[in-house]
Amino acid sequence: MNKPIKRLFIVSVLMFASLIAMLGYRQVIEAQDLADNPQNTRKVFAQMRIERGLILGSDKSELAKNRKEDDLYYRVYPKGDLVPHLVGYSDPTYGQVGLEHSQNSYLTGTADEVELVNLFDTLTGKQKRGADLKLTINLQVQRTAQEELQKIGKRGAVVVIDVKTGAVTAMVSNPTYDPNQLGANWQQLNSDPDSPLFNRATQGLYTPGSVFKMITASAALESGAFTPQSRFRDDRGTVDIGGFTVHNYRAEPFGEHSLAEAFSQSINTTFAQVGDQLGKDKLIEYMQKYGFYEKPPFDLPSDEIAASGRYENGELLSPGDSMDRAQVASMAFGQEQLQVTPLEMALVAESIANGGKMMKPYSVDSVSDYNGTVVKQAKPEVWKTPIRPDMANELKDMMVKVVNEGTGGKAKTGKVQIAAKTGTAEVTGRGPNAWFVGFAPAESPRYAIAVVVEDSDAGGGIAGPVMRETLLAALGL
Amino acid sequence: MQRNRELVNFLPVVILMIVGFASVYMARSSQIDASSLSYGLLFVGLFLLVHLFLRIATPDADPFLLPLAALMSAIGIMLIYRIDPDLAAAQATWLMAGLGLLIAVIAFLRNYRKLDDYIYLCGIVGVLLLVVAIVAGQEINGARLWLKIGGFSIQPGEFSKVLITIFLAGYLNSKRELLATSTWHLLGVPMPALKHLGPLVTMWGMSFALLLLMNDLGTSLLFFGIFLAMTYVATNRLAYPIIGGILFSGGALLAYHIKGTVHTRVDIWINPWPDAMDKGYQLVQSLFAIGDGGLFGTGLGKGYLLFQNGDPIIPALHTDFIFSAIAEELGLAGATALIVIFMIFCYRVFKIAAESDDGFSKLLAAGLGAGFALQTFVIIGGVMKLIPLTGITLPFVSYGGSSMVANFGGLALLLLISNRTNKARRS
Repeated sequence: MNKPIKRLFIVSVLMFASLIAMLGYRQVIEAQDLADNPQNTRKVFAQMRIERGLILGSDKSELAKNRKEDDLYYRVYPKGDLVPHLVGYSDPTYGQVGLEHSQNSYLTGTADEVELVNLFDTLTGKQKRGADLKLTINLQVQRTAQEELQKIGKRGAVVVIDVKTGAVTAMVSNPTYDPNQLGANWQQLNSDPDSPLFNRATQGLYTPGSVFKMITASAALESGAFTPQSRFRDDRGTVDIGGFTVHNYRAEPFGEHSLAEAFSQSINTTFAQVGDQLGKDKLIEYMQKYGFYEKPPFDLPSDEIAASGRYENGELLSPGDSMDRAQVASMAFGQEQLQVTPLEMALVAESIANGGKMMKPYSVDSVSDYNGTVVKQAKPEVWKTPIRPDMANELKDMMVKVVNEGTGGKAKTGKVQIAAKTGTAEVTGRGPNAWFVGFAPAESPRYAIAVVVEDSDAGGGIAGPVMRETLLAALGL
Repeated sequence: MQRNRELVNFLPVVILMIVGFASVYMARSSQIDASSLSYGLLFVGLFLLVHLFLRIATPDADPFLLPLAALMSAIGIMLIYRIDPDLAAAQATWLMAGLGLLIAVIAFLRNYRKLDDYIYLCGIVGVLLLVVAIVAGQEINGARLWLKIGGFSIQPGEFSKVLITIFLAGYLNSKRELLATSTWHLLGVPMPALKHLGPLVTMWGMSFALLLLMNDLGTSLLFFGIFLAMTYVATNRLAYPIIGGILFSGGALLAYHIKGTVHTRVDIWINPWPDAMDKGYQLVQSLFAIGDGGLFGTGLGKGYLLFQNGDPIIPALHTDFIFSAIAEELGLAGATALIVIFMIFCYRVFKIAAESDDGFSKLLAAGLGAGFALQTFVIIGGVMKLIPLTGITLPFVSYGGSSMVANFGGLALLLLISNRTNKARRS
């Protein structure tokens, strides 16, 4: 009977070995992921004895402060549901998200830059306190954008970016939630089909529809094969490419027209032909130049930001994946599995407004310790250079035409010249996404904006007033 | 000779105990008072007393088993002390009860092979205990493992495990020739006559009934695993564990589809994250705790195991999830050391099985060893999300009277078996 006993022992050694292997995996390889998991409240708990730094708006009004109970500090959000998706929350039960999560080391004073200060202060007997964050968010603009979206009563998002610096001036996701009421509403917030906790501005993936034509047009102009004056003819309102029939909106024929007119009237048949002529590689190249297929470098935790690009079953496809002619043609006017975030589209508009330079977006303007010493100051940086300045100018003119003569009339105002591109992206199963992407003032742009409204039954125009009012608020007009 | 070695083996245990208790005390001196340090001394005193008893009663018994059991209990009581000093007092009582049973078994069952005559009684009592747990048991976490009598909670399964092992040792020993005879082949594997597959099917039925009635995959797996291991040792026929494994998998698959609780456990094992606030809470918190331990742990008393009010963050931390606490505070280094201690203990037990010269002793030792290894694997694997989670104690380490008493009972049998073998060798 000793042979089976020996084998039994070998089996138990294997079992113990698998335990040790798993333990090593959990404690070494996976440890960081476990620690970073937003549901992991252990760190939050441990750090509740630290007075967290404040989070302030651009006007220094408080977005997050503390309430002391016994020895512990609890977070309070004085502005309630105004900026929850960006600011996030820090809660011993529900964990940390948003800037509260990604900037935790500053807020708790445990980041290297802040630690020294605190070490010195500990020696001199001062109490430990985290560093304050001053954000780039302008609460006026934020409130206007939120109210305009709420007026429509649909899910959606708005992102406003300072053209010259990349500073995020407003970031709205609708519906919103009140981070002070997590305990009371947790179940409902998580089961709500409108998912109010979800940050649509950076994570929401939307079919871009015609706003993608900004990218197709960039590729077309820079290829040298087209100019804004290039002539096209459309007699039928449809065109066949690679065995696939492309329709204009309501199959309307536009007759003879230029590329600029095709852009301002959003003529799908023309853009399908342009895309077909440019080919897949050219289009993908420009998508990548504009930052598609990667997550924009932004202050939020990386799992709260999505990359734009072609998706299949919720997975980002590789830029190298093959496509047939029909797919390329329909990608050229923003369909064909394309999924983009409002942040990405705001960045596209921003780079066109900024002479072809895409700035790295940021929302934390400065970090200062409680003595008021600035320990970190955001510096504007160029992230991408998707197009040449002259091409950016031609595109800008085309976008002005969209507002003045084309589909973007809903954004027109006498106070300032707005440049924009509209989109009404078809989504299977529900109403289309209404897009307005653009910037103002057209002559010397200051703010770029992307607005998306989901399930729009009133067509693409519904997003126009949101853009107009938000830009006016940003410009102080 | 063997007892002198045993005494030397106790040295590291005593040192570890002193260092452990001192470091818990230092880390948490604001919450606990110095008098509770006496548990450490009590612990050392108790084991030395048992050692002296063994010098007289079983001078030739294996010199590693008791120090290893002491080491495991020491780590357990240290962690329990760290979680809640009051519980450590209770655990010290259970330890005394366990050591008391160990002394009683060795004193009154010196000729343990007499048990061979009472195996059916053992078997019936073992099954009855399980039936009682199922009928009168309390449902905790969906599983019926606990019996409440007066102020005490008893886990009948812990005792049943030892009793059924004794039964199987006797039964399989008498039937092994029959069971080992193969009359036909299935896919090249020699198979015993169909009528001798009876016990296998009965045992499988029982395990399956356990699974359905107790809602507990782990207990069911433990009993059936012990049975298969012992049948394999008795017959040296791989056919048994293979057929048994297939039968068990079939049963488990069926249970997954018809029993909600089993289904939930498995789903949580596959992906606990969507349910991290509710059904998956315990497992998710366990993973966070383990992850926080890293290579060397947070240090005894310094981990983040308790809420401000002193309640444990992980429910059942001192019983089923004690390994998570160990992994957090002692890290990969400490927790691996504990697993290695379990492995060495298994090695000693299987060695005793291999060296003993009669079938009953061999099977009994092998069965106890297999049960020990399997139980350890099931609970540690469970809290690390290697396998679906099951509420079961970590032998000698977890808090709990039933577990302590039953395991020291089993240990007494192993000491007796090794004493008999070594004595025969010496003379």
